Amino acid sequence: MLNTRNKWLVLLMSILLVGVLVGPVGQIEARTIALNGAGASFPYPLYSKWLDEYRKIAPNVAIDYQSIGSGGGIRGILEQTVDFAGSDAPMTDEQLAKAPGEIFHIPTVMGAVVITYNLKGVKTGLKLTPDVLADIFLGKITKWNDKRITSINPGVNLPAQPIVIVHRSDGSGTTNIFTDYLSSISSTWKTKVGKGTSVEWPTGIGAKGNEGVSGAVKQTPGAIGYVELAYAIQNKLPYAFLKNRAGKFVEPTLETTTAAAAGAAANMPEDMRVSIVNAPGQDAYPIAGYTYLLVYKDQKDKAKGTELVKFLWWAIHDGEKFAKELLYAPLPGNVVKLAEKKIKQINYRGEVLHK
Amino acid sequence: MRIRRNQRRRIVDRIMGVLSVLATVVALIPLASILIYVSAKGLSAINWDFFTKLPKPVGEPGGGMANAIVGTMILVGLASAMGIPLGILAGIYLAEFGRGRLAWTVRFICDVMTGIPSIIVGIAVYGTIVVAMKRYSAIAGGVALAIIMLPLVTRTTEEMLKLVPNSLREASLALGAPQWRTVVSVVLRSAAGGIITGVMLAVARIAGETAPLLFTALSSRYWHTGLDQRIASLPVYIYTYATTPYEDLHRLAWGAALVLLALVLVTSMAARVAGRRASGGNRG
Repeated sequence: MLNTRNKWLVLLMSILLVGVLVGPVGQIEARTIALNGAGASFPYPLYSKWLDEYRKIAPNVAIDYQSIGSGGGIRGILEQTVDFAGSDAPMTDEQLAKAPGEIFHIPTVMGAVVITYNLKGVKTGLKLTPDVLADIFLGKITKWNDKRITSINPGVNLPAQPIVIVHRSDGSGTTNIFTDYLSSISSTWKTKVGKGTSVEWPTGIGAKGNEGVSGAVKQTPGAIGYVELAYAIQNKLPYAFLKNRAGKFVEPTLETTTAAAAGAAANMPEDMRVSIVNAPGQDAYPIAGYTYLLVYKDQKDKAKGTELVKFLWWAIHDGEKFAKELLYAPLPGNVVKLAEKKIKQINYRGEVLHK
Repeated sequence: MRIRRNQRRRIVDRIMGVLSVLATVVALIPLASILIYVSAKGLSAINWDFFTKLPKPVGEPGGGMANAIVGTMILVGLASAMGIPLGILAGIYLAEFGRGRLAWTVRFICDVMTGIPSIIVGIAVYGTIVVAMKRYSAIAGGVALAIIMLPLVTRTTEEMLKLVPNSLREASLALGAPQWRTVVSVVLRSAAGGIITGVMLAVARIAGETAPLLFTALSSRYWHTGLDQRIASLPVYIYTYATTPYEDLHRLAWGAALVLLALVLVTSMAARVAGRRASGGNRG
C-alpha cells in the first residue's frame, strides 16, 4: 500500500513539474530581440494585429503588447518595467516630471466615444446637443421625455422614464476622453467634476470596462452610458448623433473621427499631447481622441532601441492600413509627419537610431 | 404513547432527510450551471489548434492558446515548487514543535494571509520583484502564487497532523524513535492523505488566479523564453479577451475558461483519489 501512495505522489509531482521541464522545449526562438510593451486596452486588438504582421517581416524581433489599461502603461514606462507603453490619455506634466528621461508621445490611431442608451423603440440616431448631454450626466435632466430632449428629437416617441446614468467604475482612457469633452462644452462640468481617467460622478451607477457599461445599459430600461465606437459597432448597440461645433448632428463613424483629427491638427502642439474633443469642422464628431505609444527619447540599449524605432516607423506608415477594418481611425497625413519628426529624434547616446 | 412518539420521530426524521437532500441539490445547482454554461459556451472554441497554436489577432481564423496552457502549468509548477515544501514544513513546525509566542505569531500571520485579497499579493510582488528586475517575469508570477498557497498548505498540514492520535506518537517514542523520526515516519505518513488533498486544493485555487498575475507574470503572445521573461497564462488571457469588443476573442475566452475548469477539476479529482488511496493504505 505504501508503494501505491508513493506512486500517486510521484505522479502528481511530475504533472506539476512537466510544465517547468517543457519550458526549454518552447525556447526554439532564441537570439531574438524581445521588446515588451503594455498599457491601454483600447488599441489592444489593433496592436495584436500589428505585432503579428510585423513579425512576418521582422522574424528576429519578438514584440509583445499586453492590455493592462492606460494607467498601468504610464506606471510601467515611469518605473521602466516596459520598453514602451500604450496610453489613451496623454501623460500629465506632473507624471512627466517623475520620469527619469524625456518621454515621447507617438500617436498611432484615433478612437471615438459614443453615447449608447436603452430606450424601447428608439434605435441608433437619437439626437443630443452638448448642453443636453452635459445636463443629463450632471443629473439636471432626469426624464427621457424632458422638453429639452423631445424638442431636438421631433417624431421620436420618448417615454416618461427616469434616466439612469451608467459610467465606468475603473480608471479608463475612454472616461478621460468623455469627461474631457464634457469639460470643454460645459463650464459647470469643468468646475464641478472636471476631466480624468476616473472622476467623481455627480450621479449614476458604475460598471467595469466597456463590457460592464454596455451590459448595465442593456439590462436597465432608460439607461444611458458611453463606450468606445468599436465596441458599440461590434456589439450592435444603439448610439446617439451629437451636435458638433459647426452645429451639425454627426453620426460617430471612422470618417467623422478622422474629420475631428483633421480639424484639430492645425493646433497640434509639438509634443503631441493634445485633446481633439469638440474639434472644428463640418463633419467632425466631437468626442474623439488619440491613443499613444510612449517611448523614451534616450534609449539605453542600442539593439532594442533600433528595433523599437523601426517598429514605430512601420506602425505609423504601413500599420495604419490595418486600422480601418478593426474600426480605428487612421492618423491624418500631417500628424504622421509630426510623429516622424519625433521618431527621428530617438537616439542611443546621441546617435540617432532611425536610418 | 410509545408508538406515537416513534411515529413522530419517524416523521421528523423523514422531513429532515428530505430537507437536507433538497439543500444539497440547491447547493449543487450553481456548480452544475457553471459547468454546463461554460461547456456550452466554450466547446465550440476547442479544437486541435487551440492546444497547439499561438494566439492570432482578431479577424484571423485559427490560432490557439498553447502558450497560455503551458504557461499556466509552468506558473503553477513554480508556485508549487516554492509553496508546497515551505508550507508543509511550516505546518509540521506548528503541529509538532511550535510552542509559545513564535508559533502563535506564525499561525496568526497565516490566518491573516488567507484572508488577504490576491490582488494585494500581486501588488506587493510587483513592488518588490518586478520593479527591482525592471521586467515582468514568470518567476515573479510564481512567487505571487506561492505566497497565496503558502498559508493554505501550512494550515491544512497543521490541522491534518493534529488529527493524528497522540497514542501513535507515544508508541513511536516508546520504541525509542527520536522526535524527528516519529514525525517523518509515523505522523506524516498517517496524515499523508489529508495533506495531499489540502495541497491539491491549494494548487487548484492558484491555477485560476488572475489578479496577482496581471502585476507579475503579465502575459505574452509567444512561447515563453525563460523564467525571467513575461509568460502567458489562461486566466490572464480570459480576462484580456473577455474585455475586447470582438466575438471571436470572446469565444476563445470561453474556450480557455473551459480548459482551465477542466484542469482544475482533474487536479481536484486526482487529489480525491490520491487522498483516498493514501488513507486507505493506513487502515490496511
